[in-house]
Amino acid sequence: MTIFINIIMLCGFLMASAHAEGVQPPAATASAKSPAQMIDRDSECTRCHDENETKPILSIYQTAHGNKADARTPSCQSCHGESVKHLASKSDAPDVIFGAKKTVYTPNKAQDQNVACLSCHEKDPKRTHWQGGAHQAADLSCTSCHVVHSAHDKVREKPTQALVCFTCHQDQKAQANKFSHHPIPEGKIACSDCHNSHGSAGPKLLVKNTVTETCYTCHAEKRGPFLWEHQPVTEDCTNCHTPHGSNITPLLKSRPPFMCDECHDGTHNSISPVAGSAAGIQGGLTGAPANPSTSFTGRACMNCHSMVHGSNDPAGALLQR
Amino acid sequence: MKTHNEKMNISILSLAVQCALMTIVVLPLSAAADDAAALTRPTNTIEAGSIYSSQNSARFGQYNGLNDGGFYGLGGFDIRGGDGYDQSKNSALRWKLNGSNLGTTSRTVDGSVGDQGKWKVNLGYDELQHNITDSYQTPLQGSVGGNNFTLPTNFGTVNTATGKPGTRFLTPAQASDFQTEKEYVSRKNGSINTSYTFNDQLSAQIDYNHLDQSGAKLIGTGTQGGINLPGGSTGKAEAINMIMNPTSYQTDNVNAALNWKGDKGHLTSGYYGSIFHDDYNSLSWQGAQATGASGCAGSNCYTNNTMSTAPSNSLHQANLTGGYNFTQTTKLAGGFSYGYNTQNSSYAPTLIPQAIGTPYNMMQAGGLPTSSLNGVVETTHGDLKLTNQSIKDLTLTAGFKFNERDNNTSSNTYKYKDLGNAAFTGVNTPYSNSKAQYEASAAYRLTKAQNVTLTYNHENIKRWCNGVVGGAECVASPSTNEDKVDLTYRLKAFEAVNFNAGYSFADRRADAANYLANSGNYANTTVGGQNSNSVLNGGNYAGYVAYPYASRIQNMGKAGVTWQVSQKLDVGVNGRYSYDSYDATLGVQNGRSAGVNVDTTYSYAENSTVSAYWNWQNGQRNLNSGTTGNGTAAYTPNQIVAPLNVWNNQLEDNSNTVGLMTRRGGLLNGKLEVIGDASYALDTTGYSTQVPYSTATACGNSTQLTCGSLSPIKNEIMSLKLTGHYKVHKNGKVALTYMYQKLNSNDYFYYGQQFGTTPNSLMPTNLQMQSYAVNVVALSYNYSF
Repeated sequence: MTIFINIIMLCGFLMASAHAEGVQPPAATASAKSPAQMIDRDSECTRCHDENETKPILSIYQTAHGNKADARTPSCQSCHGESVKHLASKSDAPDVIFGAKKTVYTPNKAQDQNVACLSCHEKDPKRTHWQGGAHQAADLSCTSCHVVHSAHDKVREKPTQALVCFTCHQDQKAQANKFSHHPIPEGKIACSDCHNSHGSAGPKLLVKNTVTETCYTCHAEKRGPFLWEHQPVTEDCTNCHTPHGSNITPLLKSRPPFMCDECHDGTHNSISPVAGSAAGIQGGLTGAPANPSTSFTGRACMNCHSMVHGSNDPAGALLQR
Repeated sequence: MKTHNEKMNISILSLAVQCALMTIVVLPLSAAADDAAALTRPTNTIEAGSIYSSQNSARFGQYNGLNDGGFYGLGGFDIRGGDGYDQSKNSALRWKLNGSNLGTTSRTVDGSVGDQGKWKVNLGYDELQHNITDSYQTPLQGSVGGNNFTLPTNFGTVNTATGKPGTRFLTPAQASDFQTEKEYVSRKNGSINTSYTFNDQLSAQIDYNHLDQSGAKLIGTGTQGGINLPGGSTGKAEAINMIMNPTSYQTDNVNAALNWKGDKGHLTSGYYGSIFHDDYNSLSWQGAQATGASGCAGSNCYTNNTMSTAPSNSLHQANLTGGYNFTQTTKLAGGFSYGYNTQNSSYAPTLIPQAIGTPYNMMQAGGLPTSSLNGVVETTHGDLKLTNQSIKDLTLTAGFKFNERDNNTSSNTYKYKDLGNAAFTGVNTPYSNSKAQYEASAAYRLTKAQNVTLTYNHENIKRWCNGVVGGAECVASPSTNEDKVDLTYRLKAFEAVNFNAGYSFADRRADAANYLANSGNYANTTVGGQNSNSVLNGGNYAGYVAYPYASRIQNMGKAGVTWQVSQKLDVGVNGRYSYDSYDATLGVQNGRSAGVNVDTTYSYAENSTVSAYWNWQNGQRNLNSGTTGNGTAAYTPNQIVAPLNVWNNQLEDNSNTVGLMTRRGGLLNGKLEVIGDASYALDTTGYSTQVPYSTATACGNSTQLTCGSLSPIKNEIMSLKLTGHYKVHKNGKVALTYMYQKLNSNDYFYYGQQFGTTPNSLMPTNLQMQSYAVNVVALSYNYSF
């Protein structure tokens, strides 16, 4: 009924306008007819894909991809293809459909989707190693992680980035919430602080060429070189640490003295092996001379050999000072 | 004069009609314009409110800033603007300002402005407080972040010798000297990032970051327990103190790059500089171990001790990366970098003033060859990767990587006195290593729905020390070679089902022959005993290999499936398993790792989802080691024989996490959205030791308890978070959040830290387990415009 009344009123409006010589329609009317069409290059698409889309197509204009005064900014068809068939018939899909899930149309192969993005972004130094990188080899598309039309692309914002990465990296999600962890769930460190998801020359897509170089970007105090070095420390921090989270603080793979025992055997121990005495006298050692050994209690070896990352003390060859 | 204008009447009438019609027709169009504007123009938000936390907890608040119970301000903003958002203006200028967690020690503020395609400047500031503990107690006096700690004059001495109870018998007066100190490190990070685009081909960027870290972390310290103090002290009791190691660091990082891109290639030349500065080069403290020798009373009896802190250092690195497309299907990418890392911070003092008599010289006569290290490490990196897709459905990749850490620091002899005041000769060994990797990969699309990828990787690692005094070997494994084959298969079984599986096999062969060196004193190359002459295998039993340097066979398998059951329901399951077997008589024998993930998401309405996940992870490690006390005779391989003198230890790490998340929008006519997040995680780490050669009596030794299992390190975390957003008007929302989080922590680490229960030579800290149960309520108003 409302539609019917509106049609009648509209007819009346048009008739009245026809008789209203010299009176121009309000300027607002002209722009209100097609607010999405203000951007000429995209109007061929946005006259249909307007503000009524379930997914906010037009919010791309809030992103770098919609900053039209930048001559490099693409049009809809730069990414989705000319889509001649689609323009002729909605039943035909555009040339390039992004995403992984089938919705109205079946998405293109990831490789084909990525061609659209890489046509502009391939020569960015951060994407030099995309080809042959772990994520490219796993057949991921750019839109596996990025939401291009949204004003807030979660993966590009530090507080929310990990949520995107954790959708696939679920082991790391669990580890990041362990007792000892980097402040990733709290949004203070992003995965991209250590990893370049677009590919890198380092292991595990690290931003730097080696594990140690990557860690030193924040933990430069461990870089040295020290007078007295600890060999595994100079090679790879992950010999002892597990960076995404651990049950043993600080991000340790194991608890001393057992961790130390993995590289130093009995001749280095003042007493070995160890079991209950590591629990201190609460383990049942209550009577003299029942003194639990400091080699196993508290920080164990690191009670005295505390400079495990290296020592710069001329009297510290055994990493004790 | 014409007073009656019929035409005008018609126009007025038509205008009236138009107005009426405009109300009906145009307003929806204007609303559409508003909707479109809302999408194309940025929405600014300002948030203000308050958050309440019910409990003091260093652990709970370690990164979220809610360190103590009480009220905190809750503030944030996200404001964007610039003509670049106005499509009618020919400007690409945009700016934005962001702030979050403004009322806590986890605050962040940043802003940027840029003319897109031409230039951009970004400023950022970020704070973070990393809490260590809030229960540490010490009799030492000194500020958190300082580097000098003294004992109160009335503390007296703890004179018990090794082997007898120590702090279990602290006097009431001594116990009263303990005070609580909160240990934390505060991180303040400021950055400025700039970029400028000269033209389509050339651009430049400079990033600068200043990190300021202040506070302290606990560190174990041994003292000169056997020092011959004036008066003849040989006391050792309480020789170990957990003290506050100052963190007073500044790190400046600079990253500058010049980028060029042409039709077929691109090249970036850059500089990375990292300058680390530590305000201190040493840490000093007083120890209470001393004998009651004549003339030693009160503070005069304390021993003054010193150790080093992290030395200031710098790294300057030149980088070159680029790519070249020979054709659309053949591409080359590579890079090269050279770094120069130096450290010449003055050594920690070696002449330590004492309360009585002459200062204690930690060095032997003539034992200090230099006053600073003048350390130099050169790092070199090179990589090259060629990809080819010229054959349909086949992608070929070949790559090479090289990394070297060449430590050119001089090796010298340092003659000093160890913790027991015995003469010790040390020769520093500047460790160097290089790694060369070769990789070849072929990815083939078998059918439209099937992919298979085969990758081969060869890795060679070399380790050495340059110019070690005496020329002894310094590394356990001078060289390792590893071959790895990886096979991955992916199948799109149906339109909505994706399956993947992978298997990899790696064979690492280490050159791990028993080398001849004496740990600490690498100048001594004469075969002989442990304490004077050089020993086989660097002091480890023959046949012992540290696990990173041992020969190893590694098998790994993984599989996963994702199923888009419907437009609304997704299910995913994946798992992995790996088994490492080490070729070592002693040391780590094997390790296993496994994990399973299950997750599902159901989107039952627009803006309404519920998802659940379960994660299980398990890790195990099996270790063999030779017992101590066998003397030098045990250094011959045939004298370490299981089960005669080899003990075993197993590590098992278990982790279970389950979670449920839900989001429900559109409630109360679209005004209310509710978000719920609940999770439960249980992590346990256990150690079990077997001593096959031990008698029951020895296993039950009251000081060693050599057999059995430790109580597992257990952390159980439960978390519930409920958030509601209620739209009070067009531009305003009220957010109410309730969070409950509980940690049950049980860790034997803390047992030996308590008053009256520490080992004989450890000063107690009374560190408490960090369990907590915290309720948090947050209320904020969010205004958008």
